[in-house]
Amino acid sequence: MAREDYRESLTELRDGVESMAKTVLTQLRRALTSLEDGDEMVAHEVIDTDGAVNERYLDLEGDCIQLLALQQPVASDLRFVAASFKILTDLERIGDLATNLARYALADASGAFSKIDIHRIGDEVHNQVQAAIDAYVADDTDACRTINTRDDEIDALCQRASEAVVRELIAREASAWGVEQLLDDVSRVLLTIRDLERIGDHAVNIAARTHYMVENDPELIY
Amino acid sequence: MSQTDPIDATDEMNRTAEQTISTTDGETAEETRSEWVDYDTGGETKLAIKNLDVYYGDDHALKDVSMDIPEQSVTALIGPSGCGKSTFLRCLNRMNDRIRSASINGTVELDSEDIYQDGIDLVELRKRVGMVFQSPNPFPKSIRANVSYGPRKHGDIETGLLARLTGRADPESEEELVKRSLERAALWEEVSDRLEDNALGLSGGQQQRLCIARCLAVDPEIILMDEPASALDPIATSKIEDLIEDLAQDYTVVVVTHSMQQAARVSDQTAVFLTGGELVEYDNTEKIFEDPESQRVEDYISGKFG
Repeated sequence: MAREDYRESLTELRDGVESMAKTVLTQLRRALTSLEDGDEMVAHEVIDTDGAVNERYLDLEGDCIQLLALQQPVASDLRFVAASFKILTDLERIGDLATNLARYALADASGAFSKIDIHRIGDEVHNQVQAAIDAYVADDTDACRTINTRDDEIDALCQRASEAVVRELIAREASAWGVEQLLDDVSRVLLTIRDLERIGDHAVNIAARTHYMVENDPELIY
Repeated sequence: MSQTDPIDATDEMNRTAEQTISTTDGETAEETRSEWVDYDTGGETKLAIKNLDVYYGDDHALKDVSMDIPEQSVTALIGPSGCGKSTFLRCLNRMNDRIRSASINGTVELDSEDIYQDGIDLVELRKRVGMVFQSPNPFPKSIRANVSYGPRKHGDIETGLLARLTGRADPESEEELVKRSLERAALWEEVSDRLEDNALGLSGGQQQRLCIARCLAVDPEIILMDEPASALDPIATSKIEDLIEDLAQDYTVVVVTHSMQQAARVSDQTAVFLTGGELVEYDNTEKIFEDPESQRVEDYISGKFG
């Protein structure tokens, strides 16, 4: 087959995106663990690793630009490079959001709002990101559609969790807590829910770009 | 045509080269007649090619090609060496008639009239369907004489004998025609103060634009270009590409190119010929380069073979 270096570069890009996704998924898993266990050391590790994730992102983005500039990919190769370019941004954002979660874990020593099932939502979005990256690696458009549909359920879970926070707030005796502490806890738990929901959205973006990459069909993008 | 035509020798050599390459064809053809060529261009058809077959002796150089070329647009023909794209181009103004061993079946309709029917005036045909070649080939004459040569021959300017004989009502003056043609070819500003200089003193890119001006001077309807920028540097290439897009506002342009990026940049529709003289896919250029239907076309434009 002609253009062997070029084909190799495309394979390396796919491997690079997959390996960055693995790192980001590990970051997310550890951030969720720190939220669950309150393990400060794990939370710090997540925060400290984000710089390396960002560097990896810039490297791979540079690889995409170089492929476009030097090899002028067309047809399915072009869609692959364009989709990968966008997916890398989603992965980088998931990395940032995982760092946010680790910061919330560090701040949340009080265990307030323990009835909110953050962990279930966390597991769901982690699965979504894993499924999205698996679909990308395997060119699996059926999986892309499933991920897109599944996101509605996650949105509903997040919505219910936010409502539960409000209900618990109403039921709580204000005198038992300092108002400032209470507001901090409320905003942190709502931000946690919002960030998890956003990670789910990035998983959908990855699936939508993968669907475009394989089918040349932008249907899932919006 | 003439049996002693001096260009026959060159054509023989080209033909041999094409034959050599086409016999190395080792691909497994998925079909002999592609299903991805019935592209409705949406425009007014200028040239309608129907079931065109070309043989050079026993070599089947072009196989059952049918396609509509719309007016006032750029149609790119791409494909590997020996795929028949230049043969196809030369059929559009009957340049293949000059090759003794060539036999041509099928029809090429220009404005719904078959150019291969008996009694067609080849001089008139080639006036309507002009051609620009890969290497700039100006006459070793002044810039002015290069541009006015065709119109003088055809009697389109007042100095021409034919103009006097045919009594054209409003013949254009040579001065106006030379200026208009050079302007249209985006060369006027560079040469207006040295029209009497020998054309061979121009740069390659200027020579090619002069050849385009020479082609435009006889007021063609269609301009065929056979790799018009492949012998030029990137800046001269850009000028030719800009010119191609500009010309398509008034003319029907058909361009053979080896540069897929060039086809992608300048053309409205692209026809992909693959080894063996087969038109495999014809569609709008965006579709060909983003999502071609044929896997063989995808492999070719991605550089996986060819």
